[in-house]
Amino acid sequence: MKKISFILNGEKRFIHVEPNEILLDVLRDRMGTKSPKCGCDSGDCGACTVMLNSKTARSCMIFAIETDGQEIVTLEGISKSGLTPLQKIFLEQNVFQCGYCAPGMILSATELLGKNPHPSRYEVQEALAGNLCRCTGYTPIIDAVLELTKKQV
Amino acid sequence: MAIPYEFAYEKPQNLEMAVKLLGKYGKKARLLAGGTDLANQMKQGFRVPGIIIDIKGIHEMEEIKMDGNELHIGSLATFNDLLSSRLIKENVNILHEAAGLVASNGVRNRATMVGNICSAVACMDSATPLMVHEAVIHTLSTRGGNSYRIQDWFVDNRKTAIQDDEIVTHVSIPLPAARYAGAYQKLMRYSGEDLSQANVSVLMLGEKQFSVAFGSVGPIPKRSLKIEHLLNEEGISEGSISRAKNMIDSVIAPITDVRATKEYRMHMSKVMFERALLAARERYNKPRVFFK
Amino acid sequence: MDAFQYIGKSVVKVDGREKVSGAALFTEDIEFGSDLLYAEVVEGSHAHAMINSIDISEAMKVPEVLSIVTGKDFPYNFGLYMNDRYIFAQDRIRFFGEQIAVVIARTPQAAKKAAQLVRVNYTPLPKVLNPLDAIAAGAEIIHPDLGQYAHVPWFFPEAGTNIAHHRKIRKGEVDKGFEDADYILEDTYEVPRYSHCAIEYHAAVAKYDHSGRLTVWASSQSPNTQRNLFAKALAPLGIRHNDIRVIAPHVGGGFGSKAGVTMEIMAAAIAIKVQGHPVKIMWNREREFYNTYQRLGVVAKLKIGVKKDGTITALKHDLYWDAGAYVEYAANVVNAVGLSAIGPYNIRNVSIDSYCIYTNLPPGGPYRGFGYSEFLFGLESHITRIASHLGIDAVEMRKKNMIKEGDLTAYGAHMNPNGLSEAITKVAKEIQWNKKDRSSDPNLAVGKGFALFWKAPAMPPNASSSCFLKFNEDASINLLVSGVDIGQGFLTVMAQIAAEILTVPTSKIRTENPDTDRNPYEWQTVASHVTWGCGNAVRNAAIDARDQIFSLVSRSKFLPIEDLFLEDEKVKCKTQPSFELRLRDFIIQGIQMGDGTFRGGPIIGRGIFMPEFTSTNADPDTSQGGHPNVHYTVGAAAVTIQIDKQTGRMNILKVVEAVDVGKAINPDLIKGQIIGGLLQGISTVLYEEMKFDHRGKMLNPNFTDYKIPTALDIPDEIVPIIIEVNQPDGPFGARGMGEHPMIPVAPMIANAIEDALGIRIKSMPITAEKLCLEILKTNPKTPQ
Repeated sequence: MKKISFILNGEKRFIHVEPNEILLDVLRDRMGTKSPKCGCDSGDCGACTVMLNSKTARSCMIFAIETDGQEIVTLEGISKSGLTPLQKIFLEQNVFQCGYCAPGMILSATELLGKNPHPSRYEVQEALAGNLCRCTGYTPIIDAVLELTKKQV
Repeated sequence: MAIPYEFAYEKPQNLEMAVKLLGKYGKKARLLAGGTDLANQMKQGFRVPGIIIDIKGIHEMEEIKMDGNELHIGSLATFNDLLSSRLIKENVNILHEAAGLVASNGVRNRATMVGNICSAVACMDSATPLMVHEAVIHTLSTRGGNSYRIQDWFVDNRKTAIQDDEIVTHVSIPLPAARYAGAYQKLMRYSGEDLSQANVSVLMLGEKQFSVAFGSVGPIPKRSLKIEHLLNEEGISEGSISRAKNMIDSVIAPITDVRATKEYRMHMSKVMFERALLAARERYNKPRVFFK
Repeated sequence: MDAFQYIGKSVVKVDGREKVSGAALFTEDIEFGSDLLYAEVVEGSHAHAMINSIDISEAMKVPEVLSIVTGKDFPYNFGLYMNDRYIFAQDRIRFFGEQIAVVIARTPQAAKKAAQLVRVNYTPLPKVLNPLDAIAAGAEIIHPDLGQYAHVPWFFPEAGTNIAHHRKIRKGEVDKGFEDADYILEDTYEVPRYSHCAIEYHAAVAKYDHSGRLTVWASSQSPNTQRNLFAKALAPLGIRHNDIRVIAPHVGGGFGSKAGVTMEIMAAAIAIKVQGHPVKIMWNREREFYNTYQRLGVVAKLKIGVKKDGTITALKHDLYWDAGAYVEYAANVVNAVGLSAIGPYNIRNVSIDSYCIYTNLPPGGPYRGFGYSEFLFGLESHITRIASHLGIDAVEMRKKNMIKEGDLTAYGAHMNPNGLSEAITKVAKEIQWNKKDRSSDPNLAVGKGFALFWKAPAMPPNASSSCFLKFNEDASINLLVSGVDIGQGFLTVMAQIAAEILTVPTSKIRTENPDTDRNPYEWQTVASHVTWGCGNAVRNAAIDARDQIFSLVSRSKFLPIEDLFLEDEKVKCKTQPSFELRLRDFIIQGIQMGDGTFRGGPIIGRGIFMPEFTSTNADPDTSQGGHPNVHYTVGAAAVTIQIDKQTGRMNILKVVEAVDVGKAINPDLIKGQIIGGLLQGISTVLYEEMKFDHRGKMLNPNFTDYKIPTALDIPDEIVPIIIEVNQPDGPFGARGMGEHPMIPVAPMIANAIEDALGIRIKSMPITAEKLCLEILKTNPKTPQ
């Protein structure tokens, strides 16, 4: 058992963890952040995506203890001060269906637009390809991201 | 899901401490970099280490840099580090190309190239690019520094030549003095994230100088001196390509598994060899991009 | 013409903000406090075996293990349409991975550790892994008790065999029809099993409290059906319907997998063993593959006779379904296809035999399309093949034979109004059917494919829906229904229907997720029927509320009831333009009269809906005489694909699909269904494949090797087309369309491949590898 601390959605949190605890479980079961989901538990689906030090990562493949001293952002953190333009366009265009993949998908798209404000269609596809969605067929999500980048010249 | 057994965790802040820890625990320890492989293996019970040594505190191993006429890739360099590195893109485009086909962005943010070649699984992407570039793997242990030529590194499926007390510090790639260009081809079941079912790397170093390696079509990746010899003798022509493709039957030994049949792997290795060869030539003939 | 304010508008989903902000709670997100227990399932490791003994002694020694439950504790069977399933295996297991026991512990780790220590002793039995083997002479009988299982009256099990149900259609004179034919094409098509792959796992938490109340939280498409089946199965323990409460939070994708009852019944049962504690069962990705439902596999033998001019004279369709170890739900897939396997065609002479066959593979069950994708693969391949043999255009051939309003279905009922002709015309135009595309690259082949589709909801004849509509003080509304939003937008569509009638904007309407204590009855969210069925209930509830409003205003304001109307949340009067009364001013508080007294009280609407024209009473040997289906939703689709001849890789350049939705209540959501459904269909053709070994164990129960598409694996261009030929008994003319977009995809692609390469593939999937090897076989000279 080790006491670690990390900044979660802007707040410094302290917690005792065992080395065998996985970050996804700690976030969901001990920190109360429920937006990262478990969809495969093996890094294939991207539902557990979080931002770790500003980069998306699969929280199901990270030991919680590794994150000592680091910064984690989940969709709860993104939504803290109202919806971002990206979330707004996703909402307005009804892009999501069941919404289970949405937290991971939104974080991946957010990371992309942070690095590359005017991506090509292929770059959007490539950036979202690690987030599996069984409902939408992806096209509405990709279209919304591209439309947003056109708006924000 | 939590891992149903206990183990210890250490995060050394420098290489010396890491080597010491590894010397102490040896076989019982597993090194943790990106963890994209390790966490899964531990969940499934394939690996049950007594201690995990997290090497992400050793910042000197993050570097990608030029070291004389060698390119140095630190053990902590992730695939996305490779992708965003101009040094990689301009000097080892083949590795850049392969890195872009590894898993997906969120995995590439964590997964390291060195972790990939240490896993030595048949489906790794970085092996054949490193083979055609004759990379060298550098390790450190309490016994001192050591290095392995890439062709000596892979011993069997999931097995490398590394000793239990050694840590890979970096990989070096000697850069040819003259013009060269390479291409990587990977067989995937679709365009999204998929493990390699076969892959081919071709490096063109001159009109009649080639380096060719095949991956995921045998327990370990394979460089083919036979095919290289043919191309080095004849250069690229319809005839040489056709003869080289016929040789592939005796060079690789693909198997049928849940991902692909051996027939398709064999056929596609030939198709991809030709495509990689032609792509390498096209790039070779555009010296602007890949001339050091 | 369209005077609607909310119907036909792409209003923002009522649950949209929850979903984009991360606020939406799914079953696994709900907190149950520190007393929560965790359950781990012990799975069988044979496809077919007798269980001699189960030794739990070592497992019970693991610290923090409270209880281990086995089949002895719950010797009950259950099922939706046929009671052939068990909560836990009894004396035998019938598929690899079947649940034998459950360990309940304080922590997931302890439960898992103990589960690995449960020792099961088996005597293996011969196993049957495909349907044709299962009906061969001397085949091992998987359910010796088949004759004793209770089932719905429209099933015909054949005791002593592996045939759990046989749906038979005989119409017209089939032999004569074939005699009259100028050309007959006969062939066999094979479609393997598939997995739903909702990204959210099945999850259930149950608590049996000390007062005898059993509450189950489940990721479910069928809360009422689950309560009903739990109550029936657990009745021997004295548990009644009103003791059980099923709560269904947001569901992270269903596609049929979360319909009926699967793992949830384990949660309900084991909770009784640990009374007072909530206990959670979580599935994992592996179990999602082999222990929920799977789409059934089928071997379809199809024979069609035609005249030279393309007129179909007779159809004979024999379908042998690999329905798996338990068919309590799957048998109805087989039944539905038996009724509809003529496709959207007007065919006079028909013979259909649809056999539900037990195998020692995981249980089959409902999957988006409910068997229609499977039989359409053969049927729509066949139509194109026949057309090309006759030298008739494949689209013309379809137009010539397509079913029209009033034509007779295979079981003799009349076809509903539909826009099939319009769909065909629009799709053909959009895909430029008459234009042959060619690639300038000799290694690339381009081809086009066309397919029609139809599908009816497969429901018991008395499947019903209901709704309570409650106003709040500010005239906002809580709509209580028990349909489930599995992503299709159900909550929003219900809000739009109520909004239209009551003129309250959808932003002021909350459609509540099901809770069987609070929300009224809904059969299940399956069959693409909730827009139609529950939509009618909501419509009726809104009309009921409106009637109450008008009645109250009429008697308190002394206005003629027939002159009153609603506009912008106000009651107005046609004959007194100056009169208006805001709903918020009286909807709860009532209307004050001159003497200070009040009239009225909270307005609560109530609506129910049950189709009263359906019946399964029919001759079992011909299926003539009943009216088993409410209506069909029809459409057409076409695709242009490009094939790399060296690798077999297929790229979808363009796909067009038209669906007759009756009335598009929310076009955004309809388009979402079309785009998403198309990709799910494409995926079953190009990427997905369940692989089993000789033991019946699935080899690829994970996303690493069961490939569902990513954002990089989508068509280059998708054109959804909405056709609106009103369904007379639908809410605002709407009918269901959620399942339909995926069902024409397989034959459409197979037809395009033949167009491009001249190669006809008759088994699914059609992966790049399979096509490539086929190309090499067909033309060994193809440049490698």
